[in-house]
Amino acid sequence: MTGRPKATAYENLIFKEKVHGSLYTDPAIFQEEMDTIFHKGWVFVGHTSEVPNIGDFSRRFIGRQPIIITRDRDDNVNLLLNRCSHRGNLLCTRASGNASTFTCPYHGWSFGLDGGMRGMPMKVAMGDAFKPSEMGLAKVPRVGIHRGFIFASLAKDGMSFDDYLGDAKVLLDRAADLSPEGEITISAGWLKHRFKANWKMLPENNTDGYHVGSTHLSMLLATGVANSGAFNEEMGDPSVIRDWGGGHTELDFAPRYRESGRPFQWFGGTRPEKLPNYVAAMEAAYGKQETAKRFVDGPPHAIIFPNLFLAELNITYFYPVSPNEVIQYYTPLLLKGAPEMNKRAIRQTEGAMGPGSFLLPEDAAMAERNQLGLEAQYPEWLDLRRGLDREAVDAENGLLTSAVSDETTNRAFWRHYLTLMSEAKSAS
Amino acid sequence: MVSEQEYREVEAFIFKEARYADESAYDDWEALWEDDAKYWVPTSPDADTEVDISHIFDNRSRIATRIRQLKSGFRHSQTPCSPMRRIISNIEISPLNEHEYEVAANFMLMELAVQSTRDMNLWGGAINYRLRRVEGELRLFYKKIMLVDADEPIANLAFLI
Repeated sequence: MTGRPKATAYENLIFKEKVHGSLYTDPAIFQEEMDTIFHKGWVFVGHTSEVPNIGDFSRRFIGRQPIIITRDRDDNVNLLLNRCSHRGNLLCTRASGNASTFTCPYHGWSFGLDGGMRGMPMKVAMGDAFKPSEMGLAKVPRVGIHRGFIFASLAKDGMSFDDYLGDAKVLLDRAADLSPEGEITISAGWLKHRFKANWKMLPENNTDGYHVGSTHLSMLLATGVANSGAFNEEMGDPSVIRDWGGGHTELDFAPRYRESGRPFQWFGGTRPEKLPNYVAAMEAAYGKQETAKRFVDGPPHAIIFPNLFLAELNITYFYPVSPNEVIQYYTPLLLKGAPEMNKRAIRQTEGAMGPGSFLLPEDAAMAERNQLGLEAQYPEWLDLRRGLDREAVDAENGLLTSAVSDETTNRAFWRHYLTLMSEAKSAS
Repeated sequence: MVSEQEYREVEAFIFKEARYADESAYDDWEALWEDDAKYWVPTSPDADTEVDISHIFDNRSRIATRIRQLKSGFRHSQTPCSPMRRIISNIEISPLNEHEYEVAANFMLMELAVQSTRDMNLWGGAINYRLRRVEGELRLFYKKIMLVDADEPIANLAFLI
C-alpha cells in the first residue's frame, strides 16, 4: 500500500439520501481521492486517434501526475510518466507533436518513444553498476483500450480493465457505432475550462437532468425551446436516467426521440438529405433498419467513472487540481468516414461546450457557487433524495432506472465512491 | 496607407466597440455587426475552422443567439454582468480595398467575475478587426481575438470579449 494511512470514515459521510459537505472541501479527503481513485484506479486518458502516426505524442495527466501518450516505432501506444529518470525534470513540455526521441535539456539524457533510454553525455563516470537499460522512463503499468478509448491505472495490480468498464462498455460502443467505419476520431483540439470547484461536482452535474430547466434556462429561451418539456417528466419527457454500476451513469434521451421517430434530434434536427454520403455509408455498413434506429437513438450521454463524459457528439474529461479547482476539457466526437457530420459537429461543440459556449459557463458558475456555499458548514448535508421512492430496476436490462430529473445517477456515483474509498481505508 | 482622418475615424469606431463590450451594452454592440459577421476566438494562431474547435466562432445568427441569451435575464454566468475595462493599443490600420479596412491591435482586459468567484481575471492578446464603410458609416464584419492563453485552461468567457 502506498501513500499515507487513510483516515476518513467515509461510511459516516455518505448515505443514499445525503452526503456530507466536507467531501467537497477537506484537503485530506482530496489527497485520499487522488491516492485511491486517480493514482490507483482506472481513469480515462485519451484516444488512440490522437496519436495516429508513428512518433506522435500527446501530453496528459493521470490525476495530478504528468504523462505522455506516444506511438512508438512498432506502432504500439505507450503511456510514459513525464519525468526524466535522472533528476526528475519534466521531460516533454509540448502539448503534442511528433518526435523520434525525448531529450531532457537539463543534462542531455534522451529516451525513445517506448520510454527506453537512448543516450547520455559522458556515461563513463556513472560506475559499473549503471545500466542504461534500467534507466528508462517509468511506464504506466496497466493500459486498457476499448474502441480506441484509452484508460489507465497507475497500480500494478487491482481490478481488471474488463471489470472496471463492465456493462458500460456498450456506451462507448454506441458512440463508435455511429461511424460507418466503427471508429471515432479526436482531432479538432481540446478546449480547456477552469472551474474553481471540487471535481466531483462535474460527474454529479453531467448526468443530472434536474438542473437543466433552471441552470440552462437562458439557453432554452435564446434558442426558443424553453417550453418544449424536455428534461421535465411532469410535462411528458419519457427520457430516463440509468445506473450502470461501477459509478458509470447515463441520461438516455432515446425514449423521447423515439416518440416522433425523427432522425438526428440529437444533432439539431439536421435533415438526412443534408448528409447523403453519411447516410449511404451507414446503410452500406449496417443495413437500413439498424441505421435508422441509430439515427433516432443517437449517441450516449453518459459518464464513465470517474472522469470521462460522453456528451452526445462531444467528449469531455477533467483533471482535479485541488479541493477547490478542476480543469474540464472538451472536443467534438468526430466520426471516421463521415466528413459531412464532422464540420457540423465542431460547430455544435462550440455552441454547447467550453468557456465561451451557451451551456458550460452556467455549469461552471453553478459549480463555483456550490463551492462558495459549502464554506457555510450548516446544514451539514447535501440532499440527494430526489426519486429515491420511485427508482426501480428495469426488468429488460437489470439496471436501476428512473425519471429524467431524478438523482439516481448522483446516488450511483456516491455508492461507487464509497465502495472505493472504504476498500482503500480497510486495506491501509 | 490610410489618411489621418481615416485613422481617427477607424480608431474611434474601435474604441466605441470596446466601450459597448466593457459596459455590456448588448444592443449597441450587436448593431455594429454586418450580416456576414465572423466573431472568432480561436485556440491557436494557425487554427482552421474547417477542422479545429474554437472557443467562439459565431456567424451573425449565432451572435444574435448569444445576445438573446445574455439579455434573457437568466444567463447566470453573466448575472450580474462582469465589471470590465479594456485597453486597446498598438493599433495598425491598413486598407483592404476601397471600402474596407483591416485593423490589428493588442488588448488587455480586466474582468471581475462577480457572478461566482469574484476573481479579477486578466485577459489579453491580439485582435484583428475588419471594418466596412456602408452608406458613409463604418460597420464591423470580422473580429478575431487571439488570446495569449487561448490553449490554456481559462475561466468563463460568457461576456463580450
